[in-house]
Amino acid sequence: MAPFADDADLVKRFIDGSVSAFEELVRKYQDKVYNLCCYTLHDPDTAQDAAQEVFLKAYGRLKDFRGECALYSWLYRIAVNTCLDQKRKAHEVTDSMETTPSVEGIPSSEPSAERLYQSKETGRAIQAALQKLPDGLRAAIILKEMEGLSYEEIGDTLAISVGTVKSRISRAREELRRLLGGKDIG
Amino acid sequence: MKCSQIRKMISPYMDNELAPDELKLFTSHIQECPACKEELEETQNMHQLFACAERFEAPFGFATRVMAHLEEIEEAGLFSRLWRLLTSRPLFLRTVEVAFALVIMLIGVMSGNMLVGDRMSGNVTSETQAAVRETFSLDLLQATPRDSIGGVYATLVEGADEK
Repeated sequence: MAPFADDADLVKRFIDGSVSAFEELVRKYQDKVYNLCCYTLHDPDTAQDAAQEVFLKAYGRLKDFRGECALYSWLYRIAVNTCLDQKRKAHEVTDSMETTPSVEGIPSSEPSAERLYQSKETGRAIQAALQKLPDGLRAAIILKEMEGLSYEEIGDTLAISVGTVKSRISRAREELRRLLGGKDIG
Repeated sequence: MKCSQIRKMISPYMDNELAPDELKLFTSHIQECPACKEELEETQNMHQLFACAERFEAPFGFATRVMAHLEEIEEAGLFSRLWRLLTSRPLFLRTVEVAFALVIMLIGVMSGNMLVGDRMSGNVTSETQAAVRETFSLDLLQATPRDSIGGVYATLVEGADEK
């Protein structure tokens, strides 16, 4: 598969009227946005709906994107807010029926035969643990640990100061350490 | 430095966000304090859990579905813009447009009636009838082979006409 064009080029082509540029942008970021939605919402169907909504919103707003931050930060911001909206809606409908699976049961590290299974199980355990965090902490730690964003980029994405980012990540790690405590990946 | 202060530095340490003097204090404390060292190791372990956790990929056809959805929205937007354009016009203009459309329809109906009326009263000349027959003649079409279904049908119709 050909490498994707850089973000500035995609945005310029889109503003000039190229719909295919937007399709390329979707293909470039679909996995990252979907992954973020999955870890935030903990349900593949809801995550898919949310990810789709992220790109529909992005399509409507991309003409106003001025490049003050990186495009992926801008997209993540839409994703974080969309996921929060989805969670609120779900909360209204189910009145917060907690159905998160147990955090227990992360298998210890095995040789490569178990690698994929372990990765999936670890993912599930992390998803479950993340659901127990407050929204602000969850978004910050996902952007840090999953997407590898710097404190400044997370600040841009969540529209908060670097100091707040630092504090949220630190608190999120403490909480997760407690929730995932004793889990050894070997 | 107190352990509580050092523990607040664990997260920035892992993200390489400590200033050089903070880093020096932190590393020297960790070497001397087993409790803080254990907390650092647990946090590092948790960080490793994230590193080896599954990355979810967008389902097959995701981008195509997004683009199709956008197309639907654009089309719906076009219709709603057209509807707004029509309904936002002043009442006077809309009345004139409707009246104009009715006049056009009336002219169409009347001209049709006139043609039928001419045929019924036999006012059409034989020259006109011949010209129409020539224009719409089936001879212009390729002859239908006799052994085809069309050919069989044509033979039957011709036979019926002759009778």
